[in-house]
Amino acid sequence: MSSRTVAIRLKIPDNEAYTALTALRRLGVDIARLERAEIWTFEDRGTEHDFVERVEGNETLFNPNKHELHLLEEGKPREGEAWIEELDAGEVAVRIADIAHGRRFVGWRLFSEGHTPADEATVRSATEKLLCNPAIERAITA
Amino acid sequence: MAAKVAVLVFPGTNSETETWRICRDVGLDARIVHWSQAATLPQFDAYVLPGGFAYEDRIRAGAVPAHDPMMDYVIEASQKGKLILGVCNGAQILLEAGLVPGTGPVRRPTAAFTHNGPVPHFVCKHVHLKLAVEPSRCAITAALAKNALIPAWAAHGQGRLAATPEHLREIMQGGHLAFVYAHADGTVNEAAVPNASALGCAGLTNREGNVLAIMPHPERDAWNYNHPDRRDTGDILAPSGGVKLYAALAEALNLA
Repeated sequence: MSSRTVAIRLKIPDNEAYTALTALRRLGVDIARLERAEIWTFEDRGTEHDFVERVEGNETLFNPNKHELHLLEEGKPREGEAWIEELDAGEVAVRIADIAHGRRFVGWRLFSEGHTPADEATVRSATEKLLCNPAIERAITA
Repeated sequence: MAAKVAVLVFPGTNSETETWRICRDVGLDARIVHWSQAATLPQFDAYVLPGGFAYEDRIRAGAVPAHDPMMDYVIEASQKGKLILGVCNGAQILLEAGLVPGTGPVRRPTAAFTHNGPVPHFVCKHVHLKLAVEPSRCAITAALAKNALIPAWAAHGQGRLAATPEHLREIMQGGHLAFVYAHADGTVNEAAVPNASALGCAGLTNREGNVLAIMPHPERDAWNYNHPDRRDTGDILAPSGGVKLYAALAEALNLA
């Protein structure tokens, strides 16, 4: 059993990310760009070589016409990123060969000018002001 | 002169017309105010946030509109004691803005109306709201009878009250639980709750009692033709039970 993590992003314009970007700027969070992704962590009983193919075969999670999938090296947020998880979400059953369940997060990756990942204070400010409602969600940062 | 009520429209709001109509029909001077007209808001006596999908529920239901410049005026008005009613998406916005239950700082939510449970699903169902506090606890409900029962339509995918155990305790102990779901005969039990809402909650009020957030739509059961058992009998244009809440709002405003 191996832990694997993927980020599934829109390759078409992401209106939700753009709304979040403009709202955060209005709230005084100084960022130049914002990426949103659906993050899934899986315990995989299968092999690594066909893992991406198996996940992409799940049409509920992945639509090749509008999504792109990135295999993340580590099962934790990248620099400049916050993962938001609903407190009562738990494990979600998925229909992927050799994978029974996954955990779903919404990943928000913030960039400052020059496309440098935003610093920790900026990410924390964005989650506290807008991206996370602590009554129902928790934020995990790098 | 009738009290002036603003029915707020954010991009994505979709219930402003029926909300405006019922406000007008209970004798209020109701106006629909769009987000681009926010600067006109201070002239109003009260504010109603109708249902819909403001800003397409992006990030979370109510999260983005809670930070819209219109809400700056609404928050200021709430602090001055003006009356504010949020219905469905309007209720979600009031929670995200921290105005209800109002147990934390403004715009730092301590609760949410979130995905229905136990399995996420959209609810479209006729329900009843039962007043769960003394009528005078909330200015908007003051003219209602004790344990008043208000028929309404629940139409939401995210109406389940959720909060940490600590915040749920605050809601109970602070008398914030304004309405619970009930059966038509007034019985309250788990089977009456369509969305697994914590505490059976259908509506919350703030500490001061001038802000009320309810998930189901009483304005959609305003007239007999809206009510499931009265569509084919009697006067279909006669007021149904949902009008009582808005009449109570009008009474509170016209007495003020």
